[in-house]
Amino acid sequence: MIRITRQLSIGVFGAAALLAGCGGSTSSGGTASGGTNYTGKTLQLAAVISLNGPGNVYGLQQKTGIQLAVDEINGHGGVNGAQIAMDIQDDGSLQQQGAQVFQTEIQEKKVVGIIGPTLSNTAIAAHPVANNLKTPVIGPSNTGNGIVGQCPYACDYIFRDSLGEATAIPDNVKTAVQKDHPKSAVLFYANDDKFSSDGAKIFQQAFKDNAVTVPDGGVLQFSKTESSFKEYVTTALSKKADIWAISSLGGIPAKVMIEARKQGYTGPFLGGNGFNTYQVSQQAGDQGKGAQSGSGYFVGTDTPTNKAFVDAYKAKFKDTQGKPQLPDQIAAQAYTAVKIFAEAAKAANLTFTDLAGDRTKLRDALAKVSVDTPLGQFSFSSQHDVHQKVYVVAMDGKGGFSLVNTYEAQ
Amino acid sequence: MTPLIAPLAAGTSPGYLLQQALNGVFNGSIYALFAVGYTLVFGVLDILNLAHSAVFMAGAVIALVLMLNFGLPFWAALVLAIALCALAGYLLDRVAFRPLRHRGAPHISSMITSIGLALVIVSIAENRFGGNSQRFPVDRVPGGELHFGGLSISTVDIGILVVTIALMIGLAFMIERTAPGRAIRAVAENPRAAALMGIDVDRVIALTLVLSSALGGLAGILYGLAQSDVSPYIGRDQVELKGLAVIVVGGMGSITGAVVAGYLLGLVEVAVLVFVGSNARSGVAFAVLFLSLVLLPAGLFGRRAGRTT
Amino acid sequence: MDFFIQLLTDPVGFYDAHQLLLAQVGVNALLTLSMFITLNCGLLTLANVGFMAIGGYVSVLLGLNAHVPFPLALALGSLAAGLVAVPIGLPVLRLSGIFLAIATIGFGQVVVSAILNIPATGEGVGLTNATADPSIVPIFASLLAVAYALWRVAGSRLGQAWAAIREDAVAASAQGINVPRYRLVAFVLGAVLAGYAGGLDAHLNFFISPSEYQFSRVVGVLVFAVTGGTSTVLGPVVGAVVLTSLPEVLRFARDYRDSINGLVLVAVILFRPQGIIGGRGGRGGGFRRLLARGRRAVPREAPA
Repeated sequence: MIRITRQLSIGVFGAAALLAGCGGSTSSGGTASGGTNYTGKTLQLAAVISLNGPGNVYGLQQKTGIQLAVDEINGHGGVNGAQIAMDIQDDGSLQQQGAQVFQTEIQEKKVVGIIGPTLSNTAIAAHPVANNLKTPVIGPSNTGNGIVGQCPYACDYIFRDSLGEATAIPDNVKTAVQKDHPKSAVLFYANDDKFSSDGAKIFQQAFKDNAVTVPDGGVLQFSKTESSFKEYVTTALSKKADIWAISSLGGIPAKVMIEARKQGYTGPFLGGNGFNTYQVSQQAGDQGKGAQSGSGYFVGTDTPTNKAFVDAYKAKFKDTQGKPQLPDQIAAQAYTAVKIFAEAAKAANLTFTDLAGDRTKLRDALAKVSVDTPLGQFSFSSQHDVHQKVYVVAMDGKGGFSLVNTYEAQ
Repeated sequence: MTPLIAPLAAGTSPGYLLQQALNGVFNGSIYALFAVGYTLVFGVLDILNLAHSAVFMAGAVIALVLMLNFGLPFWAALVLAIALCALAGYLLDRVAFRPLRHRGAPHISSMITSIGLALVIVSIAENRFGGNSQRFPVDRVPGGELHFGGLSISTVDIGILVVTIALMIGLAFMIERTAPGRAIRAVAENPRAAALMGIDVDRVIALTLVLSSALGGLAGILYGLAQSDVSPYIGRDQVELKGLAVIVVGGMGSITGAVVAGYLLGLVEVAVLVFVGSNARSGVAFAVLFLSLVLLPAGLFGRRAGRTT
Repeated sequence: MDFFIQLLTDPVGFYDAHQLLLAQVGVNALLTLSMFITLNCGLLTLANVGFMAIGGYVSVLLGLNAHVPFPLALALGSLAAGLVAVPIGLPVLRLSGIFLAIATIGFGQVVVSAILNIPATGEGVGLTNATADPSIVPIFASLLAVAYALWRVAGSRLGQAWAAIREDAVAASAQGINVPRYRLVAFVLGAVLAGYAGGLDAHLNFFISPSEYQFSRVVGVLVFAVTGGTSTVLGPVVGAVVLTSLPEVLRFARDYRDSINGLVLVAVILFRPQGIIGGRGGRGGGFRRLLARGRRAVPREAPA
């Protein structure tokens, strides 16, 4: 509790924002959070995230962000008096498991909403399950195409608070064009991963829109399990492009950048959401300095809400060396997802007896919610997509990020 | 324009092709080093040790943990990690392969046990190390590149090439000229006859696993160093399966074959990228594997007909 | 464990909550049975997942592009898998033991590569299968039918020929059994069943992508077969059921779930190698002859 006391002294506004869950009518702009009194009730939610498998590089931060939010809300009067019961489950980074766990949580645990899954690949298997069972879902890190809005399946119950590649990449490219005036580009992408493949298409379109040419053979595809990138880098170098874009996840972006610098490429790098974690920045180290990407979050954002979040997160999460860990986009979006659910629940007039009705009411309330979060002021667009600022960030060469510029919410 | 001509006509210099050839060779070193351990076990025990890729990964992860969490310098971490991998190989034999061997279980049982142990090792690494890709601390490990004639060559890659060749020569010498080596050859040839000649077959097999796992661990560390990539997943998928392709093409049980085929695969993969394009790349190793088995089942250096079993 | 408690006390609720899991169990059982067919004939082939991919993609593509009704698409997918099995099987089945296994692994990878390069399949991104319908009735009905059929076959002339080939291929050949032909039949039948399972599997999810057909899946099916035992039809089914549900049953131990899977596998091999459902042949049953001749890739005709 010492941390919380320190934050109270930051400022009234900060305190008000933080204590928004404490049953007060101090709403941060938007729905009247004075809603129905839910004292004594339990808000059943589930988080189905990648605790195992390759996705766990994101899943573990999501778990901490979610736990932080739940503890904060529950410790300050809950959701209009209701305590959140957050069941955190593992999707194994697998499509089948994600879908199965979604089904079990909805039918057996009778949750009223789900946060998850971690990967876009898993989402396209799991989200339809939730939609069929009419349960609202917030995707905390699904940034591929077709996740919300225009989906290949019915998705009126699906939302996401994770800035999509379709927005992040064009803004990133726009910034790069203004800064570096590239004439040509090469593109690396993993062809057996939905996120990476979607990102590649968006990059190509963004380059075209900004009059940046991609030479013949300048689009290099590889498997996400590829072990060595030497030959790809050599091929890319031979194209003599001004700027390199990398659409991939996991350890690949850093590997490509390191190899590129080794072989003598000195130009800038652009990436998608795969760039936006500290692990990637740390792995890339000095070779990744200046690598630029569009993000839904910047840790240095100077708002009381974000500062409180960062401090609380640092106190709770230590990295593998035992040092306090800063939150990144992944953690911030997971934390925010909980806050969004809580805020929407307040206005949703839940009965806690009519499960089906409550789920639909919660969905309707989500569509109208507006809440102050570490990502900034957040609401959903008519497509259930994010409506927030876009931060263009760059790796600082020391395992962190710096801010390049921002775009206001569209 | 046909794929073959396009890259040459696109104004790429001989320097480009030379750099790519070097890439193929350097990639091949890791394949070769990995495959040697793989093929050694198969040659002696007739077992496909699918835990080899897990040991490969463990070598890299252990070395990194020793450096980061215990502050060891690189060379000490390298040696200690290899020793631990060797120990893992010994335990693998003791706990799984030997009991199965003694009761006459079919070889596939050992292979499946190795799959189970691989799962355990990877799972532990995932949980204790985390799923992220990390990198050996840049200032505490060998590094740096040589630039001349438009080429860029990493010193680590040269080192790996040297190590691989040296190891192959050393291993060949050991197997041909030393007593333990002769014992290994005898057991590989015919375990029953070897036992009758007074060779302690169990000890020889244990030595083989120790050697193989040490090589696997070393390969993993060098991979992690060369590729700036250490994670619980580095042995899986591509490395593991390509290793399979390499030992088949090289001839099961042949160390020379493993090395030659390793370099060959490295070069062929790069050639496909250069002359056909990146979309054709992923299936190369397996197409080669498949064709090799169908057209030349014994592999390049496989045993000829007439050998006793 | 609440998993079992719920199964016994609230079967309807259990079904609602675990329907996808049950469907997956059924599909895995069918897939493992496809491996059973070839194992029973003495062939260690690991191509099932590759044929599964063919069956899955063909049936989905037919459904999406040609609006072929599901049962027909499923049949055509299985047929496609069987047709591919013939030119693959002819050269590959000459190989013995581990070499056959490796060649079939290679085949599986080539299938995945092909998918990644054919635009119609959606390549790496995959395809959305809007016609998905995770109903378990066709799956379990098929499972019962196939299991019954295989059980009957075991006693028939075909089954006996296979058993003879498994026990001693050379002796069987000497008795006039056309070994290559019977092997091919087993291989193709296994492929058809795997393609069928693949079609059902693809229809379970609203999505099909190559990442479903990676080597880890191959390993998984092998593990099901071995754990359950391959002496009788029941073995593979039991293996698939136990291991597919294990992650769900062990949800509380999720962090170490893979370790537990691995340890279960090791324990089965070390302490009960004939699998959960043991059977004739004692230690390892049908596997005994599979790798008998070790290093020779292609066996000689005459005995050593």
